Amino acid sequence: MALSLTVNGDRLASTADPATPLVDVLREELHLTGAKPVCREGFCGACMVLIDGKPTPSCLTPAALADGCEIRTVEGLATHGQLNRIQAALEASDAVQCGMCFPGMVVSLTHLLAIRPDATREDIRAALTGNICRCTGYERIIEATLLALATK
Amino acid sequence: MTPSSLTQIAPAAAHDAASSIHVATSLASALDALSEYGAAGAPFAGGTWIMRSPIRHEPLRAHYVAIGRIAELGAVRIGADVVEIGAVVTHAALAGALADLPEFNVLAAAAGRSANPAIRAMATIGGNLATPDFASADCIPALLCLGAEIEVAGRDGRERMKLEHFLQIRSTLAPGRVVTQIIVPRSERKTAHARLPLRKAGDYPVAIVSLSVSIDATGRVQAARIAVGSVEPVARRWERLEAALIGRPLDAEGAARTAAELAEDFVGRDGVDAPAWYRVSVLPGLVRRAAAAALGA
Repeated sequence: MALSLTVNGDRLASTADPATPLVDVLREELHLTGAKPVCREGFCGACMVLIDGKPTPSCLTPAALADGCEIRTVEGLATHGQLNRIQAALEASDAVQCGMCFPGMVVSLTHLLAIRPDATREDIRAALTGNICRCTGYERIIEATLLALATK
Repeated sequence: MTPSSLTQIAPAAAHDAASSIHVATSLASALDALSEYGAAGAPFAGGTWIMRSPIRHEPLRAHYVAIGRIAELGAVRIGADVVEIGAVVTHAALAGALADLPEFNVLAAAAGRSANPAIRAMATIGGNLATPDFASADCIPALLCLGAEIEVAGRDGRERMKLEHFLQIRSTLAPGRVVTQIIVPRSERKTAHARLPLRKAGDYPVAIVSLSVSIDATGRVQAARIAVGSVEPVARRWERLEAALIGRPLDAEGAARTAAELAEDFVGRDGVDAPAWYRVSVLPGLVRRAAAAALGA
């Protein structure tokens, strides 16, 4: 079965088995390793990508059902080398963590900023409930998100 | 690489393979495909359970029929007497659709607080119902306490049954049949959903109490439906507790005391997240929370 995936604006063909998790196609075929297959249960958020604009655990998405969708990974969030608003705020706030859970958080927060320009601290916490960091806290990330929201 | 280019890429490493996923755009075509595949096929909605099959060491089916894009199955229709919920309505969409109907607080809470935001945007109400091994499904006790009925379709037609009956037969449904909608009667009632996960979000609840009560003009309980989920392998009504509440004013502490006296009605199941005894022991507290929430609604 030939699949046509649109990833970060590029159309790519894959011959993966239809139920192959999208995260594996992204990593093993496309070498886009930002999404991490950590829990493979949709609970940790490390594999989060945007599918048609919605944050989606790519470990639970069969490649066949991503066919024809717009997929954006953490690698595709910057535009022409320019970090997006949340990426810039996270960097400015020293809220950058290791690459295991963090790409998924950036993806979730990018979506939050897009849909909730009036998001509160509680909204940010709620949006991150699907992104688990096992190493440290979330406070700087929340502060950075508030900074990003205040930066028009 | 330009957006218009089409680049061939190498296949991923071998996975537990399904040989096909047919994306159905109508119920008729889905039923045709499921009928053709027989026992080798199964419906695929949100996929949040099926895609975790390898973790449970369960093989995937050879064929899946994706039903998530069938418009007929994706709507919530709010009528004067009933609410009809399409089987592939996601938890997030369901919570949103019921947000302004206080009599459905229990179901809105069940759908709106389960798992995490991304899972709620994928997981469907039909998948929650049709997965026999998922003991912690939040929407099942909520629907039990609302008196829901389930519609199942095959190429030979549709049939409607009580949710209690569906739960008994769901693991032996004939190939080619699929849940199409859930029908929930409307009535004056106060409802609430109390769940106990180990963390605030992300974990399955170790126990769930869903409650629906009708209160008469004198403030006494006229009718009660209480369902317990996650404590045993399949959610079920707590009929002795329901009967004990009838005719009394509903108060949270009193309901919790009665629940403690009747807790032996449940055996409990052991799981990696909680032992059997713990699941049963938290029930009175959840009854207290549910009753308080219902009274405050």
